[in-house]
Amino acid sequence: MSDQTATKPALDFTPPRSGLAALQLRDAWHLLPWGIAIAFYFYADGFHSFGTNVLIMVLFTLSLDLALGYAGIITLGHAAFFGIGAYTAGVVAVHMTTDPIAGLILATILAGILGVLTGMLILHTQGVAMFMLTLAIASMFYEVANQWRSVTGGDDGLTVPRSAPLLAYFGFAGFRFDFRGMTGYLYTLSVVFVWFVIAWRIVKSPFGRSLDGIRQNPRRMRAIGTPVWWRLVAMYGISAAMAGTAGGLQAQATRLVGLTSLELQLSGIVAVMLVLGGERRLYGAFLGAVFFMAVQDWAAAVNPVYWMFVIGGLLMAVVLFLEGGLMGLLDKIFGMFAGKRVENAQPSSNEVKAGEVKTGDAK
Amino acid sequence: MLLFTILLDGIAYGMVLFLISVGLTVTMGLMRVVNLAHGSFAMLGGYLSSVMIRHYGVPFIWSTLGAAIVCGLIGGLAELTIYRPLYRKGDLAQVLLTFGMIFVSIAAMTLLFGPTPVAESMPKWLEGQIDLGFRTYPSYRLFLIGVGTLLAIVLYFIIERSLFGARLRAAVDDPGMARALGINVNLLFTLTFIGGCALAGFGGAIGAGILPIEPFYALKYLVLFLVVVVIGGLGSFRGSLAAALSVGILDTAGKYLVPQLGSFLLWFIVFGLLLWRPNGLLPPKSAT
Amino acid sequence: MKKLVGVLAGAAFLASAASAQAEVIKIGLIASFSGAFAVWGQQFRQSVEAYQKVNGKSVDGHEIQFIFRDNGGADPAKSRQLAEELILREKVKFITGFELTPNALAVAELITEAKIPTVIFNAATSMITRSSPYFVRTSMTVQQYVAPLPTWAVKEGGIKTAYTVVSDYAPGHDAEEIFIKNFEAAGGKILGKDRIPLNVTDFAPYIERAGASGAQAVYVFIPAGAPSVSLVREFAKRGLKDKGVKLLAGGEVQEIFLPAIGDDVIGTISSAHYTETNTNPENILLRKTLVEMFGKDATPDMGTVGAWDGTKLIYEAIKQFGPKITGDQFVNFAKGRKWDSPRGPVMIDPVERDIIQQVYMRRVEKRDGKLVNIDFFTSGMVKDPWKEARPAGK
Repeated sequence: MSDQTATKPALDFTPPRSGLAALQLRDAWHLLPWGIAIAFYFYADGFHSFGTNVLIMVLFTLSLDLALGYAGIITLGHAAFFGIGAYTAGVVAVHMTTDPIAGLILATILAGILGVLTGMLILHTQGVAMFMLTLAIASMFYEVANQWRSVTGGDDGLTVPRSAPLLAYFGFAGFRFDFRGMTGYLYTLSVVFVWFVIAWRIVKSPFGRSLDGIRQNPRRMRAIGTPVWWRLVAMYGISAAMAGTAGGLQAQATRLVGLTSLELQLSGIVAVMLVLGGERRLYGAFLGAVFFMAVQDWAAAVNPVYWMFVIGGLLMAVVLFLEGGLMGLLDKIFGMFAGKRVENAQPSSNEVKAGEVKTGDAK
Repeated sequence: MLLFTILLDGIAYGMVLFLISVGLTVTMGLMRVVNLAHGSFAMLGGYLSSVMIRHYGVPFIWSTLGAAIVCGLIGGLAELTIYRPLYRKGDLAQVLLTFGMIFVSIAAMTLLFGPTPVAESMPKWLEGQIDLGFRTYPSYRLFLIGVGTLLAIVLYFIIERSLFGARLRAAVDDPGMARALGINVNLLFTLTFIGGCALAGFGGAIGAGILPIEPFYALKYLVLFLVVVVIGGLGSFRGSLAAALSVGILDTAGKYLVPQLGSFLLWFIVFGLLLWRPNGLLPPKSAT
Repeated sequence: MKKLVGVLAGAAFLASAASAQAEVIKIGLIASFSGAFAVWGQQFRQSVEAYQKVNGKSVDGHEIQFIFRDNGGADPAKSRQLAEELILREKVKFITGFELTPNALAVAELITEAKIPTVIFNAATSMITRSSPYFVRTSMTVQQYVAPLPTWAVKEGGIKTAYTVVSDYAPGHDAEEIFIKNFEAAGGKILGKDRIPLNVTDFAPYIERAGASGAQAVYVFIPAGAPSVSLVREFAKRGLKDKGVKLLAGGEVQEIFLPAIGDDVIGTISSAHYTETNTNPENILLRKTLVEMFGKDATPDMGTVGAWDGTKLIYEAIKQFGPKITGDQFVNFAKGRKWDSPRGPVMIDPVERDIIQQVYMRRVEKRDGKLVNIDFFTSGMVKDPWKEARPAGK
């Protein structure tokens, strides 16, 4: 195992750039995705609620990228935090306040706390045991939501009242959430932007870099004195909080929370979006979620019965033929234009030898 | 009395889980492939058997064996074409590819057989009740317990007592060393995969009375199969038997005694167990 | 005089409709086309397509276009998103479908805001139509078709004790309520009751508990599809039938599911608002068309008949008001409307927008090698008892 990683390029020790001062002209392409998202607001009449849902999935996928992509925590239960966030925002709106931001903050905090607590328990393990534990946690949450009808509505779902106007503080009338979902779209976009900036700063920080190391070789990182477990727990907590925000946004946008927000299928689909877009790229979450949702929307419109053929086939094709996802594909295309081979940004954590034991931590 | 009923129901349920999961534990243990599509093979077995019975008049037992053979062959084919390239990739790629296969298989079965569960096709001699002295009990469930026990014994001899089994266990414990000793690990992989899929197909066909065959089968019961495999310990034959029976009994007992908890109890115990023993109850030597 | 005005108005509409440009009227249909309840989507779709085959794909030259959307099962959030997309993007005039109650309730607020009339083809919890003035239901309510069953069981069936097993969601609670109420009112005794979460797949424990209670009959209510088939099979296999315990059911033993359950189901008593073997001319037409279009195994069920009548209602409303029909026009048109459905005579309640219809008691029998339900008792026109017990405005 150590031989294999040794042949890969060592950790990137170039100091992380951060802050506005470090921005250069060649970073201008960052404007592109956000510009498209804003243009969508003005030109996509009738598609705003669809756009809002896409943005929510972008945020959810981004949260998984932090945990799975950057920290290498293989989870099949990330829907647990999405669902917790959704139910929290829903319950807050029903029983406490319909102020959207208050609900969202509580959803984020609660999901984050649960992320830290469960992370502390499960992050000692590895591989299959770890993903089964994440699955078990999500399933427990699901069963609790299913049985606790008085709060969650069980199979009937929880109906959430419409949010109060946005930013209606200090006598300001605020922005009303309209039927067409235009305000909701901008609100969601702003939240996604804030989280994106936070995620960007995190992965470029020394903390983020140390997780890079942990993912590639936890033993060495431990040997050089990194508190591996705490770093993983911290990242898992941040990721869970972000997933909670996404869930909270969904509750406010759809105004209905169902058990499907806690299901295995959702956890699976968000992983699909991440791999489709490309891991450890941040913008991969954008590409993956947008592409997946668009394909799903199109396939379901063409034939509501067999859209699973399309999604399943797409998934298989990406794994077999499109390593690095859509972002990897873009790299290759731009690389051809630039006339040089684009180096693989980071060695893939997916390359594990068949013989390697990854069933559990041997301690 | 009630406890005895729970025990019987739980064991019958557990035997079906065992038959289907044992193939998965060996493939996951041996090849380190996280094969989520395993349930699709069980589903396929169920469909094949029902088609054989209803359209070609094949007797029940022969239809389950036929389903096992066809599933084994398809599994072998899939191993050579789809799974081979996966061995080099990591857990995540495997999880996703096989997740994709589940979707495709669900859509394919809906297309071929429609969304309703397939017709009941048990023979007459399995439909009745058997008098156990203190109560009558469905003969089908007793039959399952019998078949499960028989197969467990056969598998025990194959895996723990034969040369093939010795090689298999060697390859599970240390594939590199096994190769160095001249064991054809690739061939072993293919054969094991065929065996695993055949067992899944057989389990799906014979257990159709407990886990009804319908297109969503592949996804619906997947988590249960995974639980059995992981609790038992990857690659551990004895572990998967113990885990399947415990899951079967536990889930049944939970529903009898505290129905309001649903499956929470099962998941809670799975959670605790994996924290306590991440490698499962009876892991093979390599993992400890 | 009134009639004359009506005729004149109708003629004027016809004239205006003919002179106007032919338009495409879009109708959204939301249901499960995948997942455990996918059979509903299939039945709705077959029914709509059969109706369009018989009555044409256009009304007065205006094309009627159905847009099918899959919600994948009990997924209220998804259903709401789909409804929103259908309204805002596809600009549908009507929304239809809805196999399960949570999915229908999820769109109530939305259709009220958008004033989009929504015809429910199945979802059967009583309160749904109270949640929006734009809901019209052409299927049934749970309490409506369950109501005669417990009374019959005690008075005619000689059953004195029963155990209820229902799905733990709104319609299940409705069914449990009316069954226990009428059963006890008739002098029977309930020995126990269980509620099963929708995602449960192994029913042995519940059936065993019911059997152990010693009740003479077990009443089950569980949404029709893969789960209901498992449950009824398990009942048969447990030997409860051999011990003389009766199974009382409803939609679980519709003809379409009988082959999947097997011969054990023979003798099961159920009540329903539609019996597939009835000889109403409309029903014969429906069955013939289904078989012509979808093969000899195509079988109508509650979903089929709900969709058939719902489509008929929309067609007739469009015939009267043309392509510019508004939500209020449609709802007012539907209120008090009577027609002959494949199930028998029906009427839309002018106040509650729910259907008023007969309920049939049936027994599963084998005729010509085929498992079918045979009527042995027909009730009068039944209004929804839940709403009777809870007058509007309370």
